[in-house]
Amino acid sequence: MKKYVSIRLFNIIVTLLIIATATFFLMKQLPGSPFNEEKLADLSEEARQEFYAKYGLDEPLLTQYGIYLQKLMTGDLGESFYYKGQSVNGIISDRIGPSALLGTQAVLLGLTIGLILGVIAAFRHNSIWDFTTMLVAVLGVSIPNFVFAALLQYFVGLKWGILPVAFWESYQSSILPTISLSLIVIALIARFARNEMLEVLQQDYMVTARAKGLSTTSIIFKHALRNALIPIVTILGPIAVSLLTGSLVIENIFGVPGIGSLFVDSIKVNDYSTIMGITIFYSAFFVLTMLVVDLLYGVIDPRIRLADEKR
Amino acid sequence: MNKRFVKSLTLLLVLGLFLTGCNFSGNSSEKTEGNATDASSEKSGDKTISLSVENDIPDLNQVTTTDSISFSILNNVMEGLYRLDKDNKPEPAMAKDVDISEDKLTYTFTLRDGIKWSNGDPVTAEDFKYSWLRAMHPDTAGAYYNILSDYIKGAAAFADGTGKAEDVAIEVKDDKTLVVELEKPTPYFLGLTAFVTYFPLNKKFVEEQGDNFGLAKDAILYNGPYVLTDYDQAKGVTFEKNKEYWDNDNVDVEKIDLKVIKEQGTALNLYEAGELDRVNLASSDVNEYKDSPEFGTNVNFRSYYIQFNLGNESINNDNIRKALQLAYDPKVLEEVILNNGSEAAYGLIAPGMTGPNDQSFREAQGPVIKPDAAKAKELWEKGVEELGKAPELELLTADDSVSKDTGTFLQSEYKKNLGIEISLVTKPYSGRLQAMRDDKFQMVVSAWGADYNDPMTYMNLWVTPERAFRGHYASDKYDALVNGARDEADETKRMEMFMEAERVMLEEDAILGPLYYQGMAYLQKENVKNLVFHPYGASWDYKYATVE
Repeated sequence: MKKYVSIRLFNIIVTLLIIATATFFLMKQLPGSPFNEEKLADLSEEARQEFYAKYGLDEPLLTQYGIYLQKLMTGDLGESFYYKGQSVNGIISDRIGPSALLGTQAVLLGLTIGLILGVIAAFRHNSIWDFTTMLVAVLGVSIPNFVFAALLQYFVGLKWGILPVAFWESYQSSILPTISLSLIVIALIARFARNEMLEVLQQDYMVTARAKGLSTTSIIFKHALRNALIPIVTILGPIAVSLLTGSLVIENIFGVPGIGSLFVDSIKVNDYSTIMGITIFYSAFFVLTMLVVDLLYGVIDPRIRLADEKR
Repeated sequence: MNKRFVKSLTLLLVLGLFLTGCNFSGNSSEKTEGNATDASSEKSGDKTISLSVENDIPDLNQVTTTDSISFSILNNVMEGLYRLDKDNKPEPAMAKDVDISEDKLTYTFTLRDGIKWSNGDPVTAEDFKYSWLRAMHPDTAGAYYNILSDYIKGAAAFADGTGKAEDVAIEVKDDKTLVVELEKPTPYFLGLTAFVTYFPLNKKFVEEQGDNFGLAKDAILYNGPYVLTDYDQAKGVTFEKNKEYWDNDNVDVEKIDLKVIKEQGTALNLYEAGELDRVNLASSDVNEYKDSPEFGTNVNFRSYYIQFNLGNESINNDNIRKALQLAYDPKVLEEVILNNGSEAAYGLIAPGMTGPNDQSFREAQGPVIKPDAAKAKELWEKGVEELGKAPELELLTADDSVSKDTGTFLQSEYKKNLGIEISLVTKPYSGRLQAMRDDKFQMVVSAWGADYNDPMTYMNLWVTPERAFRGHYASDKYDALVNGARDEADETKRMEMFMEAERVMLEEDAILGPLYYQGMAYLQKENVKNLVFHPYGASWDYKYATVE
C-alpha cells in the first residue's frame, strides 16, 4: 500500500510538471500581454520592450520558464499581472471558498438525491417511479445548467422572492447556485445507480440474502448498494473536481465571487501567473482526487487489491 | 478499519463545509429577500444607492491601475486639484483657484483651506508633488505615467530615467501653493489635474503601507467625497460619505454599494427586484424598455472606425479607399445593428468633445464624410482601372459580437453598393491588436477612447513616425497641422487646425472610415438623480448624486 501510494505520488509530480510546461508554452503563444495594449500600441518598439522588462517579460522564454519553475518548487505561484501587487496563492485561496462550498453542497445533494432516485427506480423496475427517474435523468443531462439557473433565478428569486436573485451575502445566496449545479449530478448518479443496482439485484448472492430472510433495507444497504457503488465512485471523482473548482457560468449568473470566473477572466487579460497558478491548482486537485478514488475502491470492494503485498 | 476510514472522510467533508462557508460578508443578518417595494422604500429612507459593475476590481493603486472600473472608484474616494463637474468642465476642488501666466506655461495653484485626508491630516502641496513624481519615477510608474510626463517641463527626462527629480518643474512654494511649469501651452491641463494619476498621495501613509498600499480599504488614505468601508475585488465596494471632505455638505447620498455582477441578465433581474438602482441594457433588451421613463443612453468619447492600411498595395489607392469609405451609411449600423445607444459617426472626434468658442468640436465641424453609394461605385471603378484589377479585400475585426456584427454589416453593404465580396477575419481582441502591429491587415475595425477632453487625444495618434498600427499614414500636411496646434496658444486657431487636420485625414487622404461613437443604454430608477457620467477618463462621479 505504501509503495503503491509513493509510486502514484511520484507519477503525480511528473504529470504536474508536464502540465505546467505545456500550459506555460501554450499560454505564451496567446497574442497580447497582460497590459492595456491599446494604450501601449503607439509606443516605439524599444519603449514597449522596456515596459515589459519591468515585469520580466523581455527575457527569453526558456529563462522565464526556468524562473517560474524555480519559484513553483518553493510553492510560490508568483505575483498576478492584473491584480497588481497580489500573490496568486492569496488570490486563489480567497476565491476557492465560495466555489468549494457550492461544489461540496452540490455533490452531497446530487449524490443523496441521485442515489435515492436510482435505488427506487431499480427496485420498482418498469414502474412509474422508474420512468420518472429516467425522465429526470435525461432532462438533467440535456438541459444546460445555465438555462436551469436562469429559470431558478427568474422564478424563485425575482417572481416569488423566496431566495436572493444573486450576490454573495448570506447562506441563502448559496442555495440556488447549489441546486443549479447539482442537477447534472443527480441525473448522472441516478442513472448509474439504477443500472448498477439492476445488475447487482440479478446476482446469485442477492437470492442468497433474500433466502436468509434478511430485511429489504439490509439487502439494499449491506449487499446491493455497496456493490453498485464502484462505478459511481469512479464518476464521482471527476464530477467532484469540476464542481469544487468552480463553474464559470453558474458563478457569473449568481454573482458568486468564485474561482471559475477568475480563471476565465485571467485568460482574457493574459494574466500569465494567474493562468498558471489556477491550472496547476486544478490539475493537482484532479490527480489527487483520482488517487483518493482509487484508494476508495479498496475500501468499498475488498476484492480490489491496490498492491500485491498480500499475495 | 474500513468503517473508520469512511467515517473520518465524512467528518472531513462536513468540516470542510463549515470552513468554506465563512466567506460571506459580515452583514449576513440583513434580510436578503428581494421584494421590490420593500427594498426601494428602505433605500430612500437612508439615502443609499446600489449599483453594479461588470468586472472584478483588480487594484485601487492610483499609480498602477489601468482599468476603467478602478478609475471610477478612485474618482469618488479621491480628489485632484480640479474635479470635473456635471458638464465635464473642470471646477476647483482641492485647489481654490489657479493663476495661469500670460504665456500659458506656468500654473500657480492655491489650495483650499481645511482640506484633509480621511485620517485628519491636512492635504498639502507637497502631497501633490510627491504623488506626481512617484507616478513618473521609472521604479514606481504605471502605464499612465505619460499623462504627466508629456506635459510637465523636465518630466519626460525624469520618467525615462535620464533626468533628475530637481529638474521637474513642480515647485512647492508653501503648504498651500503649488507651481507647475508646462512644456507647451495646454488648454486642457486643468482637466488633466482631475484625472486619477494627478491625485495627491500622503508620503508617510504610502511608505507605511509599503507593498500593501491600495490592496485593502484601510490601505488607502482618502481625500474625496466618499471613503470605502468595504473592498473585495470579486464582490465589490461600499462607499460611505467622507466626514473629513471639505464639501461634505453638498454630498447627499450616505452610502453607495457597488457590486460585481458579470452577467447582464442577472443585473437586469436584480434591477427588477429593486436591488439595483441602475443597470446597463444589452441591445436585445433595448426595444422592450425603450419607452420606459427609466430608460436613457450615454455616449462615450470612444470612436469606432475602419482603419485602412496604406502599406497594402490594393488599399494604397485613394479612389479604392474613398469608395470603401462612402459605400455604407453608419446610420443603418446605429439603428439596425447596434441599437444600444451608440451614435452613427461621420467624423473621428466624438460628439460633446470640446471645440472652438464654447461650441463642441462636432457642432463646429459638422459631418466630414457623407455616404453616397452612387459616388462610391464610381470611385471604385476608377480605382479598379488604376490598379488594373479588382483587389481582393479582407476585413479584420475582433471576435466579440458587436465587432463581428459590424463586420457583417460592412460586408453586406459593400456587396450591395459596390458589388464586391470582401472576406472577414476575426481574431480575439489582443490578436487583432497584434495583427495590426505586425502589419498583417488590409482594413480593420478599430477604436480609440479619449484620455482627455481635447481633439489632440485622437489627432496625436496619426502623427509621424508612420506605424503599421496606424495604417502607415504619413502626411506632411497633417503633421504640420497637428504639430502646429500643439504649439499654438490661441484657442480658436488651434481648434481650426484640428478641424482642418480631421478633414485632411478623412476626406482628402481617406485613411479611416468612421463607424460609430460607442454608447450604452441603461435603466435608472426615477428617484435617483445626478449620477454623473463622464465620457472619458474616470467615468463615474457620485458626488453630485441625490436620492428623492
